[in-house]
Amino acid sequence: MSAMTVPAVPNIWLKLRGFRGAELLVLLFFAVVMALPILFMLVGSFNTAAPGETPVYGLENWTRAFSDPQTLSALWMSFLFSVVRLIPSLTLSVIVAWLIARTDMPGGHTVEFLCWFAFFVPDFPLTLAWILLLDPHFGFLNSVAGYLPFVTGPLFNPYSFWGIVWVHLGTGGIWLNVMLLTPVFRRLGATLEEAARVSGANTLTTLWRITFPVLSPMILAIAVLSFIKGLESFNTELLLGLPARIYVYGTRIYDYLRQEPPAYGEATALGSVFLLVLFVLAFFYRRYLQGKKKFTVVTGQGYSTLRVKLGKWRYVAIGGFILWFTVMMVLPLIFLVIGSFMRRYGFFNLSSPFTLAHWQNLLGDPLFIGSLKNSLIIASTTAILGVLLYSVVGYLLASRRLAAPAVLEFFCWLPWVIPGILMSLGLLWIFLATPLRGILYGTVWGIALALTIHDSPVSTQAFKSSFLQLGPDLEEAARVSGASWRYTYLRILLPLVAPVAVTVAMLNFGSALTSISTPVLLYSAESRPLSILLLEYSFTGEIERAAALGLLITAIICVMMLVGRRFGLRMTNPQRQEVKPGVGQPA
Amino acid sequence: MGNVLLDFSNVVKRYGDTPVVDRISFTVAPGEFFTLLGPSGCGKTTTLRLLAGLETPDAGEITLQGRCLAAPDRGILVPIDKRNMGMVFQSYAIWPHLTVFENVAFPLRVRGEPRAAIKKRVQEALEIVGLGHLGQRGSTELSGGQQQRVALARAIVYTPALLLLDEPLSNLDVKLREQMRAELQALHKRLNLAVVYVTHDQAEALALSDRIAVVNQGRLEQVGTPAEVYERPHTRFVGDFLGRTVIVKGTMRKDAGQTWVDVQGAGRIAVRADGAFIDGAEVRILSRPEDVTLLPMGELGQNQVTATVEHVAYMGDHLEYTVMVAGRILILPASKRNPHPIGADVRLAFDPARVTALLQ
Repeated sequence: MSAMTVPAVPNIWLKLRGFRGAELLVLLFFAVVMALPILFMLVGSFNTAAPGETPVYGLENWTRAFSDPQTLSALWMSFLFSVVRLIPSLTLSVIVAWLIARTDMPGGHTVEFLCWFAFFVPDFPLTLAWILLLDPHFGFLNSVAGYLPFVTGPLFNPYSFWGIVWVHLGTGGIWLNVMLLTPVFRRLGATLEEAARVSGANTLTTLWRITFPVLSPMILAIAVLSFIKGLESFNTELLLGLPARIYVYGTRIYDYLRQEPPAYGEATALGSVFLLVLFVLAFFYRRYLQGKKKFTVVTGQGYSTLRVKLGKWRYVAIGGFILWFTVMMVLPLIFLVIGSFMRRYGFFNLSSPFTLAHWQNLLGDPLFIGSLKNSLIIASTTAILGVLLYSVVGYLLASRRLAAPAVLEFFCWLPWVIPGILMSLGLLWIFLATPLRGILYGTVWGIALALTIHDSPVSTQAFKSSFLQLGPDLEEAARVSGASWRYTYLRILLPLVAPVAVTVAMLNFGSALTSISTPVLLYSAESRPLSILLLEYSFTGEIERAAALGLLITAIICVMMLVGRRFGLRMTNPQRQEVKPGVGQPA
Repeated sequence: MGNVLLDFSNVVKRYGDTPVVDRISFTVAPGEFFTLLGPSGCGKTTTLRLLAGLETPDAGEITLQGRCLAAPDRGILVPIDKRNMGMVFQSYAIWPHLTVFENVAFPLRVRGEPRAAIKKRVQEALEIVGLGHLGQRGSTELSGGQQQRVALARAIVYTPALLLLDEPLSNLDVKLREQMRAELQALHKRLNLAVVYVTHDQAEALALSDRIAVVNQGRLEQVGTPAEVYERPHTRFVGDFLGRTVIVKGTMRKDAGQTWVDVQGAGRIAVRADGAFIDGAEVRILSRPEDVTLLPMGELGQNQVTATVEHVAYMGDHLEYTVMVAGRILILPASKRNPHPIGADVRLAFDPARVTALLQ
């Protein structure tokens, strides 16, 4: 019998080669690219010499950073922005999510799709568009307002606290909240509400006394999430805050490093403080979530939902949404188009105000060609690396066979707390102070690595939940059938998670293409990506060409996401995936 | 190869400090239908997974066809894919991205069989399970019963050394379950494969098995033919788990080579008992309701005890008597003919071949 000749494998070696080995490798990798940069940054904040030179240790950076009142004010501004933004953003997204999931508002699916679409529209071009609309000198709305009686001088000013808050009402975060909240509302067991109605409560009382309280832990969780994300916000603050000398901590760090010579010390000191604050926040957030587990499983049976009949209010609801969407999304995008075709933006009364020159200049600019190439290399590398790395990590986490799952989870969540600019700052120290300098410093590979790390939370989570959803049986069935692990991975696991892999690749490609805060410290003239080029155009006042480039990036992203949607790119609703492995599973 | 195909010897599996499989030992003969029966969480599925290699044992040895599959003490652990087993999972684990044909062909492809042979053998396997016409069907378009058949075809397509079935019928509705049970039995006869079957359903176990191992809290309570475990359970647990029981208390008496139990003045019942029972020991007598006959009052014969009717329930095809024996309530089915009124004294006749004495 041929099977008799198979050598028996010693237990320990098998363990080491299998899960333990893979776990060790992944942990090692994360330790080097995540823990080490942070450690370097903490240590570096006490180093008064520039990176790469002989270190001199002292408290100087910290004292200098904190004797500067602007440091504290930057921290304070970060918090203030995040809090002030949170209130309207959360209110709006709760209302819209509720309207989509629980009412008979017409066009619910379209509204959901529009929110999904809006989420992917990058924020930098949008901010640019708001400049086109609101700039005190050439902003369209200010010009229009100028014709009103009693209006002297510009009515709006985007380069202000409220300008920044306003722009954020239309960028990523708020749409993401809608996408996160909609399934939460949808999953709420209808019986809870039906019981309230039968008990004699009317729609409004039910909503107020039952629906919202039951969902409050989830809503609060999302609120904290968007608060922390708000602290990281960088692009809008850079574009609108810098001219008005409004600094958040991210733009402050950027500013420190733009100085000549770059103030690495102060930047790292500020980064370290901020890191501590974020860790404390994240710690309490996770503890809060863990404590509330019993509350969050309000998933009732099935999807049979009692939809609230809005009567004539349904038209108010959909009208309100259309208005919001038009003002926050359609209007800016239209002006981005107009801006890119105007000879000189804002001057509508020129003899021939429209021109293709900016597009021709852009496409003919050798900088653009180089940046496009860089961006494509960076984004593709990020996408591929992310899928390879995080599918393995997600698989390991889902297998529940790890020796230290908590450590690995922690590493995967780390970039979620650490803003891109801090991560890059940490990586910068690694790149500069180690032999990796040649391959990673100022190269597309260094940027791709930083972006890949930054993608870890969502990617890992996507793969992990998809592997968990598959369950161990499909894999085990293949193994018992005689397939090796590698064969099983290639023939069974990978095809089954392919939709998720495509999703993750698309998302990472998209975020790599638009990210500014991550590459801004890592790029060099040879590795400049499109997003940085856009930043440079905006700062040098070439607003029309910036509009064209912003539009181009937006178009690439949108086309990709629409194509990706065909592969089941839905992010928040795994139930609707193309493959339904649950068919054969026990009820 | 002798009469032992599989030797599962003193195997221990712990999760943390809790042993889920606690020194379980059994053997399976070639062609035997062997069932692990027990409540959920008793360790029967873990035992099956240890066999398949999906779990690694902490102690003990597993030997199949004379080849050691796992022996932690000697550092031996044959990987899952080298064990040559066929397994049907409780969830069936049909790969949703492959067609029915490809699902069944998978084990053959893994083994590098030639294309023509694969086609032929997959078709054969599908015919055996009655799905010969569904080969090109996508696997997600199948009903539960069909998925189960595909899983079965996949498990037998390469003639495994041992067929492992993990509660394969539990997800089917009652009618389909009975049909599949009969088919499984026919299939086993036809293929003459040794089967290790896991279930919590005692009716399934009794109907299908050559031998049953009753598992409770990680330990083997009893191994035997269906008749042995049903009629002569070794423990109270086995008795209760396999069906309804009739239990009376009494005192063990041994005299002049005879052994019987005195049921506290109500009568005496002859039992077989080994040396563990000493004269005067307090015992329980365990029997099945259908093995106890209700007789009208008269002179007490051998193996009869007196009882009083407390309540009678009309069950349609029979009557159900609640009777009192020596201060204990028993529930017994009986024919509708010659009914006994409430309050009447009756005799209960035990079948001495179908009673077991258990120490209290």
